[in-house]
Amino acid sequence: MAKSTVKAVSGNTAAALGTALCSPDLIAAYPITPQSSVVEYLAQLVADGDISATMIQVESEHSAMSVVQGAAATGARVFTATSAQGLALMYEPYFRMSTLRFPMVMAVATREMTSPETVWSGQQDTMSVRDAGWIQVYCENNQEILDMVIQGYRLSEDKDVLLPVNVCYDGFFLSHLTERVEVPAQEDVNKFLPAYKPDHVAFDPKRPMAIDPLTPGNILIQYRAGHLAAMQRALTKLEKVDEEFASVFGRKWGGAIEEYRCEDADMVILTIGSMTGTARVAVDIAREKGLKLGLIKVRYMRPFPVEKIAKALEGKKAWAAVDRSVCFGWDTGPMYMEALAAATGNASSFSVIGGLGGADIALQDFAKVIETLVANKDKPGRHKTLWLEKPF
Amino acid sequence: MSYIDTIADNKDLVTPGMSACHGCGGELILRRLLKVAGPNTVICIPPGCMAGAGVVGWSFDNGLKVPVHITLLDNTAAFLSGVTNIYQRQGRTDVNMVAMAGDGATADCGFQSLSGAAERGEKMLYVCYDNEGYMNTGFQRSSTTNRGSRTSTTPVGSVIPGKPQHSKNLPYIMAMHNAEYVATASPAYMKDMIEKIEKGLAASKNGFAYLHIFSPCPTGWLHGPEVSIDVSRKAVQSDYFQLFEVDKGVWRQTVANKKPITLKEFVGPLKKYGHCSDADIAALQENIDARKSFLQKMIG
Ligand SMILES: Cc1ncc(C[n+]2csc(CCOP(=O)(O)OP(=O)(O)O)c2C)c(N)n1
Ligand code: SF4
Ligand SMILES: [Mg+2]
Repeated sequence: MAKSTVKAVSGNTAAALGTALCSPDLIAAYPITPQSSVVEYLAQLVADGDISATMIQVESEHSAMSVVQGAAATGARVFTATSAQGLALMYEPYFRMSTLRFPMVMAVATREMTSPETVWSGQQDTMSVRDAGWIQVYCENNQEILDMVIQGYRLSEDKDVLLPVNVCYDGFFLSHLTERVEVPAQEDVNKFLPAYKPDHVAFDPKRPMAIDPLTPGNILIQYRAGHLAAMQRALTKLEKVDEEFASVFGRKWGGAIEEYRCEDADMVILTIGSMTGTARVAVDIAREKGLKLGLIKVRYMRPFPVEKIAKALEGKKAWAAVDRSVCFGWDTGPMYMEALAAATGNASSFSVIGGLGGADIALQDFAKVIETLVANKDKPGRHKTLWLEKPF
Repeated sequence: MSYIDTIADNKDLVTPGMSACHGCGGELILRRLLKVAGPNTVICIPPGCMAGAGVVGWSFDNGLKVPVHITLLDNTAAFLSGVTNIYQRQGRTDVNMVAMAGDGATADCGFQSLSGAAERGEKMLYVCYDNEGYMNTGFQRSSTTNRGSRTSTTPVGSVIPGKPQHSKNLPYIMAMHNAEYVATASPAYMKDMIEKIEKGLAASKNGFAYLHIFSPCPTGWLHGPEVSIDVSRKAVQSDYFQLFEVDKGVWRQTVANKKPITLKEFVGPLKKYGHCSDADIAALQENIDARKSFLQKMIG
């Protein structure tokens, strides 16, 4: 078994430690709550000479993504981190990072989008950009954050993938929560993650090329088709990367989805991110009461594990998906909408929306979800959205 | 090497077939810039007329004989910051890091990232070709469009006669960034321009260098292509566009203009100012005088 050091760290520190172990060439970032301490931690590592990365303190997130894009075009391994308004500001170079097929990892301490004015948790930021061509993985705890940064680079730089990866974790609930984390040894990470040497792009007089020349539609469509195909390959690759990671570090996260007590279940709750921990307890309690309840933790929103979700939901009588963000225009959460599109058959289902703007999703909330599942169980088809509203 | 030899001997690094409008200042500046910079260069060019002319490549072909990337309208200096930092890490300081962007990409959309890169002292030469508007998209106003100018978004109407505001003086603003080198140049003063490109490239090895080059646009300004150089010269002779440099904080006028011509002699052939009254010209003159006296104060 690999050597590791046990530390008690916040989610942001876990992201920073994971990044440091991946030896990026260049980091550029701009502060925003609740992400800031990721880059503060990395800046200290650079200042102390503990990592050799070039650190560029830019004047905005737009420039953060642009600086790392220039460095990636020049063949570098790069990193940045952000939240909400920062992600929104960088949208233009963000979309271009994936469509240029430049690999990288960006940590996102997810946060609600303004308005109303807010700085607290929510997944509206990353969910709103799930169709910008990036791979998106959502984490349940701090260990998973650290591990997914390392897995993220490996997946991202795979020649069959070459797509940037967002490691998303709930702002405050994870970014500022201290947990036990095993920090792997550098030599093991080096073994798992070989040096990055791109051959699909160079910005170098020794190999002159125009990066991204004006491109007519008949060629552009091929780029899009290629990008989508890479996303689909990533679905298989991410499982392999997870297995290989397990063989080196002894931890396996389950690939695109993780099923918990689903085997004999007739009702299932889909969760994403840190709420999953609470949901596990809720499932255990329901099981003690004799309910056949299971849990699907959706780990990847992009690529969306359509077949895995369809299979996991097959034969279930009722399911609900709990989202920490909304899908405007559907009156549902985005994960529900996508799971519904993936599901075959006409099981009873409904969307649950809660945990917006920093609100907690507690055991009582899952109790409500379970109650509604039981009530809807024998009524196939879509049911109205359950809003986990709190009294104020 | 004399500047004439530089122009005569060095290879034109723009691919044959790439061409902007006849008499375009931007194209001339690009060709001269690359002649001086040479093949050991990477260049970033955002959307604008140069990109529109195809020098950033088309389909699978390059439009230049050096690596080129069409950056976003607003991130050229930031993108090139990433590139130059990786080159510095690799110790490949011989490679020239060059950006060439329009006034819109520089003074408006891209100003934040430009100011950030200058403040950080990123090692690059950033060249702005200033045609005083968004030409590629149909000559809309920019913040370097001068007062009175007709543009497609500051049309001449019976109530509002062209652009109501004075232009932003970008080279002065850039000079306040502790840059290694800041200078203005004009295609009518080729020796001065070539020397400034050379100085800018040398300065880019130590920090941020910025060139602001007057760029006549026959199509937008509505003058004949054959008078582009003449227009550029008159802009300097009338003090509409002053030639100076700021070398590590030391200000110097590089082309003295002892006997200025009148502003009317410059604006005469430009139909974009064709509607201007004497009062409009006087207002523009006032701004020019203020700039002149600022420059004199900085030179000391
Ligand atoms: C973010 C963004 N907004 C708007 C545009 C549309 N656009 C393309 S070129 C351009 C104007 C460029 O003007 P300038 O930089 O002065 O170059 P010129 O065309 O004059 O050479 C604009 C507004 C864009 N490409 N990106
Ligand atoms: S419109 Fe003006 S700036 Fe653009 S290519 Fe033509 S002459 Fe040059
Ligand atoms: Mg312009």
